[in-house]
Formats: sequence, C-alpha cells, structure tokens
Amino acid sequence: MTPLNVSTPLNISNVTLTFGGLDALSNVDMNIEPGLITSIIGPNGAGKTSMLNCISGFYHPNMGEITYGEKRLTFSSPHQVTKLGIARAFQNLELFGGLSVLDNLMLARHTSLKYNFFQACLFWGKASRIEAENRRYVEEVIDFMELEAYRKSVVGNLSYGVQKRVEVARALTLGPELLLLDEPMAGMNIEEKEDIVRFIMDIKQERNTTIVLVEHDLGVVMDISDRIYVLDFGQVIGSGTPEEVAANPKVIEAYIGEE
Amino acid sequence: MATNRWMATGNYFTSYRDEQRIYFTNLDRTIFSMFLVLLFAWPLLFSLSNKYMLVIDNILIAVVAVIGLNIVTGFAGLISIGHAAFVGIGAYTVASFSTLIGDRHVIITHCWPLMILLAGSMGAIFGAIVGLPAMRLKHLYLAIATLSFQMIFSWTINFLDFFNQGQTIFVGRAYWLTGKVGRSDHYLFWYYVILVVVVLSGFMVRNLLRTRYGRCLSAVRDNDRAADAMGMHPGLTKVYAFALAGFFAGMAGALHAYVYRGVGFESFTLHESIAYLAMAIVGGLGTLNGSFWGPAAIMTLDLQVEHLAEKVGSLLPSNMNLATALNPLSFGLVIVLFLMFEPRGIANWWRIARSYTKLWPFRY
Repeated sequence: MTPLNVSTPLNISNVTLTFGGLDALSNVDMNIEPGLITSIIGPNGAGKTSMLNCISGFYHPNMGEITYGEKRLTFSSPHQVTKLGIARAFQNLELFGGLSVLDNLMLARHTSLKYNFFQACLFWGKASRIEAENRRYVEEVIDFMELEAYRKSVVGNLSYGVQKRVEVARALTLGPELLLLDEPMAGMNIEEKEDIVRFIMDIKQERNTTIVLVEHDLGVVMDISDRIYVLDFGQVIGSGTPEEVAANPKVIEAYIGEE
Repeated sequence: MATNRWMATGNYFTSYRDEQRIYFTNLDRTIFSMFLVLLFAWPLLFSLSNKYMLVIDNILIAVVAVIGLNIVTGFAGLISIGHAAFVGIGAYTVASFSTLIGDRHVIITHCWPLMILLAGSMGAIFGAIVGLPAMRLKHLYLAIATLSFQMIFSWTINFLDFFNQGQTIFVGRAYWLTGKVGRSDHYLFWYYVILVVVVLSGFMVRNLLRTRYGRCLSAVRDNDRAADAMGMHPGLTKVYAFALAGFFAGMAGALHAYVYRGVGFESFTLHESIAYLAMAIVGGLGTLNGSFWGPAAIMTLDLQVEHLAEKVGSLLPSNMNLATALNPLSFGLVIVLFLMFEPRGIANWWRIARSYTKLWPFRY
C-alpha cells in the first residue's frame, strides 16, 4: 500500500436533511481538510450518522451542497461516491455475512478488477492474473489489519470485535483517499479500542488518508482528532481543535447539561 | 518444503494463482476427469432403452435450468417462481422459428447449436426485462413479480394463434455430420449434446464464481447496501443475475424442444417452476454441485414412485388412481423433509463426505 498524495477537501455547505417534520440536519457547514482526522461528535440522535449517510450517498440532503474537490456529491449514489475514492465503514455491521473474510475484501476490489465477462468465463490469462494481483493487495490489508488468522473464516461466525475490524479493513481495501468511520469502537473493550485507535493512526500516517470519525468515546476523540465538529439536534454547535471544543460552553452544555 | 499436490495434506500454496485452482489436489482433478470420461463413454459399453435415455436427457436439461435458477435464487438470493417461463421462452424461440420458416428448415435441423445459443440469448433478454422490478422490489414482492411473469407467459402462449394456442408445435429432427439423426439414436445423440452443454455451463459458472462477476451475486444477496458501498450498482447486479439465469433457462428450453421434437405449453407451467425451485432446494441453494444433485434426486424419485404406483396400483381397485396421488405426495414430502432437516441440501452431504476424506491418511 503506497501512501496517497491526498489534497482534495470535502466541503459541506448549508446541508439540511428532513424526515417529515423532523430536521435531522439543519444548515450544517463542515470543511474536511485533507490529511487530517476530523471527528464528528454529539449526543445520540444528533445527526452524526445522517451526516455520513449524506456524504456517502445513502441520503440526499433536501438543501445545501456537498462537494469533494471539483465533484458534486449532493445527489450521487453510494457506488458513484465510492468510485471517487470515498470509503465508508458502517456502524451496524454491514458485512457480507455468508462470505469469507477474503471474499469480503475481494469484493471491495470490485471496481479495480478490470476484465470483462468473457475473460471471467474462461478464467484464463487476464482474469486470473488480475485476480492474483488484487489478492496481493487484499493480503497487504489483511496483514495491516492483523486479520491473518481469520482469512478463510465465514464472516458471520466471527466475534463482534473481529467483525468490526473486518468492516474497517474492507473500507480500507477500497483504497480510499477519504475514509468515513462510523463508530468503529462501539461496543468494544479497552484492549480492542486501543487496537482500533492504533489502526486509525497507522492509516493516517502510512497511507496519508483523510479520516472522518464518528465516535462516542470522548477520550479517544480528544486524543486523536485534528479537528472536531460537535452536532446537537442536527446543528453544528461547536468546531475547532480538541482544545477549543473542550472549552466551548455550548458543547459543555450539550454534554453535561445546564446548571 | 516439497509440496504434495496429490493429497490435501501437505499441499502448500506458494502463489496466489495456486489458490485459484478449482481442484486443489491432483487427485480431485484426476477423479473428476475420469468421471467425465465415464459420462461420455458409458453408452458405448451398454445401451439403455429409449425410456431411460429420455429420463437421463430430462435430468440433464433440468440441470442446465437449475444452474440458472441457482444463480438467481441461490447466489443472488432473489426468489424466482417463474423459472419455467424462462425455459419456455427458450423453447418457444425455437418453436417460433419452426412456425415462421417451417419445422424442417435447414436453420432448425442443421444450425441447432446456433438455435440453442439464440434461445439462451432470448432467455437472457427476457430475464433482464423481468429482472427490472428487482431494482426496486425485494423478497416476497419480487417473488410475486416473477410469478406474474409466469402468468403473463402462460396467458400469451395460450391465447395467441402464433403459438398454436399452447398446442404442440413441431420441431424437425436434427442433422449431425453423419446425416439425419435417426429415431433409434435420437435420445443418445441429444444426451451427448446436452452433456456438452452441461459441462460447458458448469465450468463457465464455476469460473464466474471465482471472479467479480460471481462474487457480486453473493454480495447483493448478503447485503445490498454494502454492495452499493463497494462500488457496484446493486439494481443492475440483480438484473444481471436474472439475465444470466434466463440464459441458462433459455438453453434448457431449446434443448427440451429438440429432445421432444416439439413444444407444448404444458411443459412450462407454474408446476414446473415449483419443481425447479424444489430441485434447487433439495440440491442445495447457493452451491454449484447442488444444481446437479437436485434434478437427479427429484427425477429419480419421480421414476421410482411411478414404478411403485404401478405395482401398488395393480393390487388396489383401479378407481383409486394411486399413480396420480403418490407423485405429488412424495414430491411434497421430500421438499418438506429437506427444508426441515437439511436446508442446505444434498450438496451439504457431499461437503461433509469430502471433509471426512480430506485429512486422509491421517486421523486429525
């Protein structure tokens, strides 16, 4: 895995998302700078996952614009967003449960496997060669995420912590410039959390990937983030470096409550 | 370390290409090759009556159709209750030519490989059209959409004069290098043709399954949201699954038309669709070898029950008509028993049997 030269910023301007009468997001502005870890935090139901869904194309905002460099993402489908180099790890595991870890990761190479249907039917020459090349890429990710022991196991039978790791590995196998991680540490013990944090730091440093992290564990967020956005009831109530956010009275109010 | 390619034990892979192999050991490959040779050679050693040859032909035709059904229902997880209609599309493609240019036209009698491929393509086109609702519908709703295709197909065949209102449309005898295929060789000739189609289809699907064109099917089955996030269009993938299923079904239909030398409506009813689904379930959904076990098991069962009914029927008063009752009874019973006790089908027995022999000669 070679480090990328990422310089594309993700701009979210004035995004509003409503479900019926409920404003899941209202007038949200964010600027995700390349090469940094940007965290989105906030109480339950604040709209963090909705924000990620808007970026990755599962939801389309009612108002506002999302742009990735020159490209407009506002009405793109998930598969179009993926092709631009934005990968997503889901909060509730969205793995292919009936397939092995290897197949799950090979599926993430789907768009990189450039052979046609008839070459696939024969599995001779090109198809076989490209499969082997991408297998090598997948093995690098397996090595990176320390999944060697589970390579051939069916994903549905693995423990929750390992499945979470496979989820991150699959997003990483897409070879993204921008990685969206939706609560990668939810429901994990301290040791597993430390592992995941180490992986996130490594992804940032070795691959130079931009990371957007949604996470509830404030200790982790304050330690590893370069920028933080705080959402509450669909609105950005604070943003900046961890120190700025920690000192922001509105944020303190949202998390701890008024006196 | 020296690798031993003949047994599963001590068989180490040193490259990623090694791991792509269909047969992991040379022993597997040899046994399978010998089995194939046997399939082609046994008619030289002894001959079966036309009745049994027809049963074998039927099993192999069903294998082709069930390979298709397994792609759409087994691998892609989209329940299709209209599979017999796709088989019918293939058969009626041949029949249409027969109506338009005469049943003994040279295109039908000499260019039958072309007709089989054409029927497959028609099946694929109709498969893609019927698959369009899959872009929006899921699960039971999609199943009903495929059922409606079965209904439309039946209605169209039954009411259009062009299709002889479902009555038999004749298809001429095929020619081979040696000339016209005679009455006595007919079923044997088609046995070989169908066997070639089965072997080619089997290898084609087996190859597809180890590439992106096979993996994407399982991806939309397991989680189409995540499939979307992997960069594939889940809707189009489902349409592709239906088209591929339609292709195999269409080929099966053309083979059916040639073997029976005619096409009639009653071979492509809802009952047949259910039977294909039963074969796929009994064989094992989502496995390639299940597509072979299923038709073989169900059709052999049919034959045995027929024998039994004849024997028992001679003992009982003739108005009880046991033959017609025993057939659906055993058919239903087998499906229920498989769903209850072995939902993964006969393919699972095969898997278990193989894993027992895997470590040989060691015990663990």
